[in-house]
Amino acid sequence: MNILSFYLNNFGRIMSALEVHIFIFLVALTFSTVIGMAISIFVTQEGREKIGRIILSVMGAAQSVPSLVIIALIFIFVGIGVKPAIIALVIYGLVPIVFNATSGILSVRPNIIEAGKGMGLTQNQLLWRVKIPIALPVIMGGIRSSSTIIIGSATVAAVIGGGGLGDFIFIGLKLQKPEMLITGAITVSLLAIIVDYIMAKIEKKVVSKGLQIKKT
Amino acid sequence: MIELTNVTKKFGNKIAVNNFSLHIEKGSLTMFIGPSGCGKTTTLRMINRLTPFDKGNIIVNDTPINDVNPVELRRNIGYVIQEIGLFPHLTVFENVAIVPRLLKWEQKKIERRIEEILELVTLNQSFAQKYPLQLSGGEKQRVGLARALAAEPEILLMDEPFGAIDPINRLKLQDSFLEIQEEIKKTIVFVTHDINEAIKLGDKIAIINEGNLIQYDNVSKILSDPANEFVENLLGQDRNIKALSLKKAKDYVLKDGFITVLDTESRESVEKKMKEKNIKIAFALDENNHLKSRFVLEKATETKKQKFIYNPAPWIIERQNNINEALSKMLEAGEKQLPVVNRKKEFVGIIKLSNIFEEVNKKTNIS
Repeated sequence: MNILSFYLNNFGRIMSALEVHIFIFLVALTFSTVIGMAISIFVTQEGREKIGRIILSVMGAAQSVPSLVIIALIFIFVGIGVKPAIIALVIYGLVPIVFNATSGILSVRPNIIEAGKGMGLTQNQLLWRVKIPIALPVIMGGIRSSSTIIIGSATVAAVIGGGGLGDFIFIGLKLQKPEMLITGAITVSLLAIIVDYIMAKIEKKVVSKGLQIKKT
Repeated sequence: MIELTNVTKKFGNKIAVNNFSLHIEKGSLTMFIGPSGCGKTTTLRMINRLTPFDKGNIIVNDTPINDVNPVELRRNIGYVIQEIGLFPHLTVFENVAIVPRLLKWEQKKIERRIEEILELVTLNQSFAQKYPLQLSGGEKQRVGLARALAAEPEILLMDEPFGAIDPINRLKLQDSFLEIQEEIKKTIVFVTHDINEAIKLGDKIAIINEGNLIQYDNVSKILSDPANEFVENLLGQDRNIKALSLKKAKDYVLKDGFITVLDTESRESVEKKMKEKNIKIAFALDENNHLKSRFVLEKATETKKQKFIYNPAPWIIERQNNINEALSKMLEAGEKQLPVVNRKKEFVGIIKLSNIFEEVNKKTNIS
C-alpha cells in the first residue's frame, strides 16, 4: 500500500522522470542504430570480411563488459551530465547492434549474393535490396536487445547525472525509502517490457513475409 | 555470338583455363563437360565477367566484354546456378521482376512479361505471390530459369542447373527445358558433369580437361568419333546405345491410327465410333487436350469374342523423351504403342514400337 500511495502522491515527478528516461533512450537508440549499422555495413563490404569477423569476436567479448565500466570511463574522460550519460549509453547500445548486423549480413548465403551479382546488381543494390532485407530479422533482434539494454543501463547512468528513473532508485537507496526505490524499478521494468513489445510488432511489420514462413 | 580467343586464367600458380579458344553460335545449346576442377565453371563465369581472365579475349555480340561495364553486361546475360539463389525475402513475382526492374521497364510490361514467362516454364499463375520457401526443388529451378529469362536476354549461362535435383525430377526438368529452348532459341552455355545430360540436351559439346579444350563438336560427331581415350572413357562403353538417345520421341510421333474422343462421351458411343472407322485405339481427352483415358478394341480370337478395354490412366511418353526412354516405357507397360504429350501435358499423337525398331536396325547396320 505504501508503494501505491507513494506512486499517487508523486505521480507528476514520476512522469517527468519517465519522460526524461524515454528521451534519453530514444536519442541513445537512434545514435546506436545509425552508427552501429554504418560500422556493420563498412566491415561487411566485399573484401573486408576478415575485419568483419574480427569485429564479431570483439563485440562478442564486449557484451560481457558491465555497463558500469563504460559509464565510469565516460565519467572520467567526459564528465558529468545528460550528454556524457547519453554517450555512454550509445557506446553500450552499439554492441548488440553491431554484433547482430555484422553476423546477419555475413551469413547471407553466398549463392544468393552470387545470383545477385550474376544478374547485374551493383554493390549498393546488393547491400540494400538483398543483404540487409535478408539479414533484417537478425538486425532487428540486435536493435531489440539494444533497446532493453539502454533502458536498463540508463538507470545506472543516473549516477553521472543522466537523470530519469534511475534517480528514484539511487535516491531511494540513499534515503532508505524502499517504496521510492521499488517505484523506480517497477516503472523501468514496465517501460522495458512495453518497448520490447512495440519492437516485436515493428519487427514483424518490417521483416519480409518470405522470411517468416516456416518451411512446410 | 560468343567468341573466346586464347583465353587463359591462373589462380595463383595453377592454370585453371589454358589458351582456350571456342566459337559459340547464335541459338545453339553448348554443353561444357569435364571432371570437377577442369575449368568449365571458370570459363562460364568469365563470359559474364564474374571471374576476370588474365590473357586472351572474349567477344560477346561483336563487342569485347572488357569494353562493357560488367553490371550492364550481366543484365543482358541470363545466369542460372545450381543452388539457384532465389531471394527468400521476395515473392516469385518480385524475384522474376528483378532484371526488368533494373532495366527500368514499365510496370505494365513487367506484369505482362511475368505472366508470359511463368506460362513458359509451366508454373501456374498463382505461384507469382508465393515465396521461395514455399516451393519444391523443381519449382525453384523453374523460377530460377524464369528469372534468368525475364528480361529476354540473348544469352543464357547455366551452371549445373539441375545438379541438385533428384534423378526423376531432373529428367522432367530436362524435358521441359528442351521444349522451352525449342520455343525461345537462345544461345545457351550449359555446364554439367553428367555425360547423359550433355548428350540429351546439347547441340554441341565442349569436352574440357585440366583447363584444356579436348574436343568441341556436334553431339553425334563426338559419339561416333571421339578425339582420344579421355573422351572415350567419358562417353563410357555404351556410346552406341547413347547415340540412340539422340533421337527424340517427337521425331516418331504419328498422327493417325487412332481416334480422339471427349472424356465425357459414353463407352458405347466410343466403341461404336471405333468399329465404324475400323480403328482399334481411342484416346479420351478433356477440353484442355489433356489425356484422361484410353480405349482399346482387341481382336476377336476363336475362343474369345472381341474385347473392349478401358484404361483410366494410360502410360505416357513425353515429346522430349529420347527413344531409349520411350522404348523402356513401352517394355515396362507391355504395349506396342503409347500416347505422346508435350510439356503442357497436351496430347500430340502416338508412337509405335515398330517405328523405333526400324531406327534400331538402321543404327546397328551402320556400326
